[in-house]
Amino acid sequence: MKTIEVPALARVEGEGGLYIGLQDGKAVEVRLDIYEPPRFFEGFLRDRFIQEVPDITARICGICPVAYQMSSAYAIENALDIKISPDARTLRRLMYCGEYIESHALHIYMLQAPDLFGKDSAFELAAIAPDVVKNALRLKKIGNQILKAIGGRSVHPVNVCIGGFYSWPEAAPIQALLPDLEWGLQTAIDCVKWAVTLPYPELEIDYEFVALHHPDEYGVIEGEIWSSKGRKLAIADYEKGYIEEHVKRSNALHGRTIDGNTYLVGPLSRINLNHEQLLPAAKKALKDAKLKLPIKNPYKSLIARAIELVDFYEEAIQLVKSYKPVGPAHVELKLKAGEGAGATEAPRGLLYHRYKIDENGLVKFAKITPPTAQNLPRIEADLLAMAPKIVKMPEAEATLTAEHLVRAYDPCISCATHFLKLKIEEVG
Amino acid sequence: MKIAVIGIGQSLRGDDGVGVIAVCHWQENYPETANRSDIQVDVSELPGLALLDLLDGSDAAILVDAVESYSSPGTIHTLHQEQLAAFTSDAKSAHGWGVAETLRLDRMLNPGRQMIPIQLIGIEVEQMQMGIGLSKTVELALPRVCEAIQNQVQTLLAN
Repeated sequence: MKTIEVPALARVEGEGGLYIGLQDGKAVEVRLDIYEPPRFFEGFLRDRFIQEVPDITARICGICPVAYQMSSAYAIENALDIKISPDARTLRRLMYCGEYIESHALHIYMLQAPDLFGKDSAFELAAIAPDVVKNALRLKKIGNQILKAIGGRSVHPVNVCIGGFYSWPEAAPIQALLPDLEWGLQTAIDCVKWAVTLPYPELEIDYEFVALHHPDEYGVIEGEIWSSKGRKLAIADYEKGYIEEHVKRSNALHGRTIDGNTYLVGPLSRINLNHEQLLPAAKKALKDAKLKLPIKNPYKSLIARAIELVDFYEEAIQLVKSYKPVGPAHVELKLKAGEGAGATEAPRGLLYHRYKIDENGLVKFAKITPPTAQNLPRIEADLLAMAPKIVKMPEAEATLTAEHLVRAYDPCISCATHFLKLKIEEVG
Repeated sequence: MKIAVIGIGQSLRGDDGVGVIAVCHWQENYPETANRSDIQVDVSELPGLALLDLLDGSDAAILVDAVESYSSPGTIHTLHQEQLAAFTSDAKSAHGWGVAETLRLDRMLNPGRQMIPIQLIGIEVEQMQMGIGLSKTVELALPRVCEAIQNQVQTLLAN
């Protein structure tokens, strides 16, 4: 029996294992095993007052706290039939721009790029390309500064509440970000030009792409859940199209469509379904990249993220320039028993929440479906598709190619729960 | 001299949150020091690489964080720069970049820049299960942690 094992995968969150079973030189089984105990946030939330929920769910992830705040806030606002003011909605989009910027800058440069340079870590990348890494840190910092200007803290910002924001942030610190944002836009455009030159492994998958779609803007908050197979659902009907199933060997739930198929959420899905809603500079960056749409190579998620980086810098500039909120920052709460669903596009993909609340505003039931849980079966299927190539490679290259594929998804296993060791085994 | 005092830790994960809680206690117990204009206080649950942003503009920094090193729970460790560099984080990812790796990366990228003195006050944990609240032993250590923060700040201010 042939067994290949490598230590826990670097540059993804958490702990788990990757197993590839071979028979006569062919891959017969691929499993992504999740070991780490599940995070009990859904249980945590029971009997909590609704206004606590955005700040508790934000702690699920240090990289995408805003996504958790936003999905939970919209879900609870839907349960209470609250409509936030247009200015609060605009500020939520600006906050989301900050999160996309810091999350994408981190993933593009610090998590995935080392693979494309054949380097083990961002340290090695920093040694050969210090200016690339310096730019990455500056791009990321600007995203965190947006979060700080709106939410008081650069990680786990705290201003979002049910009904809008606790208070309007001062305009001066937000507008002071403009020169940095202008620099960031230009650097992000250069990032796309650089990203298309990188040596991606070849792999084409016929995905079912799923993302939030909004006719008037790049879908991030509100809209419909669209699938490339033609399924269009209201957010409230998400569970009619997509289910989660428990897989015995794993601590994470696995997402499937109602027909039992795998599907993909994240940057490739958004770009493929929503490229017409990109802002002009991002649209131009996409056109100049001369990519054939839909992009079907999961390794090229990096390019999709780079294009989104342009888009969110561009949008942030617009929103910062026009930031002049009027009226109250939040709608007053009127408590009632009810149920509501909310979904927003986290940097890693669709993030769905549903809550039942009682007449005192206490959470009685919470369901959180993170993007990584939806993508887990898809990652396994991709690895199976890649396996015939992987098994012919020398061990080190095989490992790197498999790990790279998983990393290209930017799995946040601490959200889905955790993550990875590679084991290739000759069975039978 | 600008001094950053930064509490780090996940307050929803038991004793892991002790750094954040200790810094808040120190602010309450020593407001005259904590509110000085040359002291910058921050708390961050999972700063990762954003730690570099929190250190930006400071001439010295005190980090307060949970530590797991097989000492008795509640033990206070004071680590200086060199010891900090040798302290490996368990974080396997850039999502969870530890303090040591983050500072190492900064040093690689800015070799010519003089590093600011950074000290870490580490509190030995008892448990880091999911859940809010410190274990009794770690909670009892809080007044001593506050004193340790105050002593470090005073020492830096005196220099």
